[in-house]
Amino acid sequence: MIKTNNLYFDTAATTPLDLRVAEHMHEINKDIFGNPSSIHQVGQKSHNIIERSRKKIAELLHCKQSEIYFTSGGSESNNIALRGVLKSGDHLITASYEHPAILDVAEYLESIDVEVTYVKPNQDGIVESQNIKKAIKSNTKLVSIMAVNNEIGTINPINQISDMCKEHNIYFHTDAVQYVGKREINLNSSSIDMLSLGAHKFYGPKGIGAIYIKSGVSVNPFIFGGGQEKGIRPGTESPSLISGLCHALEIAMEDLEKNSIHVNDMENLFLELLDKTKIKYNVNGKSRLRGIINITFFDFDGHSLLLNLDMRNIAISFGSACASGTAKASPVLLSIGLNEDIANKTVRISIGKHIAENDIHSLVDALEGIIIK
Amino acid sequence: MKKNETVLVAMSGGVDSAVALLKIIEMGYKAIGVTMKLWEYNNVGGNVLKENNCCAIESINNAKLVCERLGVPHYTIDFTEDFENKVINNFVDEYLSGRTPNPCVRCNSYVKWDTFINQADKLGAKYIATGHYANIEKNNNEYKITRGKDKGKDQSYVLWGIPKETLSRTILPLGNLRKREVRQIAADNKFENAQAPESMEICFIPDNNYKRFINEYAKDKVEEISKKGTTLNENGEKIGENDGFINYTVGQRKGIGITNPNPLYVKEISSDKNSITVSEKKSLFSKECKVSNINWLNNKITLPLNAYAQIRYNGQISESKISDNDGSIFVTFEKPQLAVTPGQSIVFYDEKESLLGGGIIELHES
Repeated sequence: MIKTNNLYFDTAATTPLDLRVAEHMHEINKDIFGNPSSIHQVGQKSHNIIERSRKKIAELLHCKQSEIYFTSGGSESNNIALRGVLKSGDHLITASYEHPAILDVAEYLESIDVEVTYVKPNQDGIVESQNIKKAIKSNTKLVSIMAVNNEIGTINPINQISDMCKEHNIYFHTDAVQYVGKREINLNSSSIDMLSLGAHKFYGPKGIGAIYIKSGVSVNPFIFGGGQEKGIRPGTESPSLISGLCHALEIAMEDLEKNSIHVNDMENLFLELLDKTKIKYNVNGKSRLRGIINITFFDFDGHSLLLNLDMRNIAISFGSACASGTAKASPVLLSIGLNEDIANKTVRISIGKHIAENDIHSLVDALEGIIIK
Repeated sequence: MKKNETVLVAMSGGVDSAVALLKIIEMGYKAIGVTMKLWEYNNVGGNVLKENNCCAIESINNAKLVCERLGVPHYTIDFTEDFENKVINNFVDEYLSGRTPNPCVRCNSYVKWDTFINQADKLGAKYIATGHYANIEKNNNEYKITRGKDKGKDQSYVLWGIPKETLSRTILPLGNLRKREVRQIAADNKFENAQAPESMEICFIPDNNYKRFINEYAKDKVEEISKKGTTLNENGEKIGENDGFINYTVGQRKGIGITNPNPLYVKEISSDKNSITVSEKKSLFSKECKVSNINWLNNKITLPLNAYAQIRYNGQISESKISDNDGSIFVTFEKPQLAVTPGQSIVFYDEKESLLGGGIIELHES
């Protein structure tokens, strides 16, 4: 893992690059530079690295090679899914607590006369299939529901929802950036029509992601150019980024069980140690992906807690970040029914595979030092 | 002062606060750089992409680069709600009632030396520091503000409203430096913002066009009052029309639009009647004014008091007598003062140029 002086508890924001991936990419960057579209052998080398990656990724996600398209990351994949399928007069159903890379696209689509229904999650932080069903109209074209919420870590019943959508002849897309690499996924046997993923959430490089588009789903591009990625996402591809994504996913899927047991143990240890202190807390959301802990500390303001921890070289997350580096109470928390006061006292602690037992001890010691004094 | 204590340094992204941070580190303190995000360009208009002032992303980024260069953490903290409630809304209301506010004073009194001090508590910092050109001196456990060494840049005028008890927690590292020395230090240290332009008069009005700002920000209120106003002479007789009182400030000469052998100036503004009273310069002098919102920075004040009064930023001082008349504070000037402007700050100094306190100018007698 990339070395850092900080104790890093913010893997839901991004993960450090796995050193094996970094080295793999470095090797490619040293030797492979051809344009994948070029006819000569230099170009072919690049092209083949990309196609080998595509094949491998398809294997890992259990889908066809032809159904994987490389993009710059989760946001772009989400844009392709929503803007590629919907046109004015269509109806979109999504959740009110999606990532801005869905919500802001939906807002844009509304401006071009796409109808949008924002379904609320229940107070456990789960979007219920029956609530989506209720929102379906004759012009509903697409349902887009995130697989795991990025702030509270709750897992949505996407198989159930996608099956229901299939029955109604409605496309289903899922923003799965927090899910891929952490849970098994079998796209062949699911009714998911489109799925977004980004490499930097599973120890891969930033700037690369993919979208799975099931054969038969018709998507119109919004970027035009040299026809790469079958015209869905033109632009010269990066062999090292794509191969880095592939390698990171391979490692993640290979170590899936080991990592998930480790993260589970670390989370349990964290909560056990917290219980031994006088800190008053509550973990928000039920049916969570372990490792994303949305936690309210009733006696401390979340933003100040983040800064105080950071001064001790411990990184966590608070609220929804802005470009300037400020943060406000998270709209996600408000959408699951927390009031603003509680939301302001809530932070996200996310635990990755790189976290060791003594890191958890250091975190709890620091929390105790700051909150209890 | 004990070293190794933490100081929260207010970083606007400009050159002054960057050098203030350096000085704090050189004094041996543990520093944290903090940029107070006070407003969003999107909410106040002006050109989002062109400007490069404080609270613009570029300025915040420059503050971060300087902090990294000096090895201290930097955080941006959102104070927009406080700033809007305590500074911008007051600014608009004051203008709409025909007065000329001083938002920097309010920002210091109600945001920097209040919200920012509270933030220091939350981060375990004992002191705050800013890049103001003024000094804080300690004498027998009493703290006082004195003028900055650079007379042209002295900012003690805008500090009159800060709570007295915060003086012991405040460090002003630039008080003994001149602006050109500060620029030189920034250049010598290769600070990213060494060449940054001087900040504007009013930070949340990037184009310096306060009429445009008020028109956009308080559209509903302005519509009622943007009608043509009347222009009166000193006897209260109508001598013309104008674009509405909102376009005028006491002492203004431009835009009156009436020909007269001698130039005419705005003497008084009435928001109720949407009128301005104009006169020749000689009628613009006042011997006396009333003062509200008074804040004393010295424990030993008893009225009446002889002091030196200053009625505008960078203005001249004048000998004056401050007295209490049934609970109202009045100031009588030794020499009549030109364009004593309601809404502006009046600030008092002793003979050693230390700041005694100040207040807000109310309607004055002719």
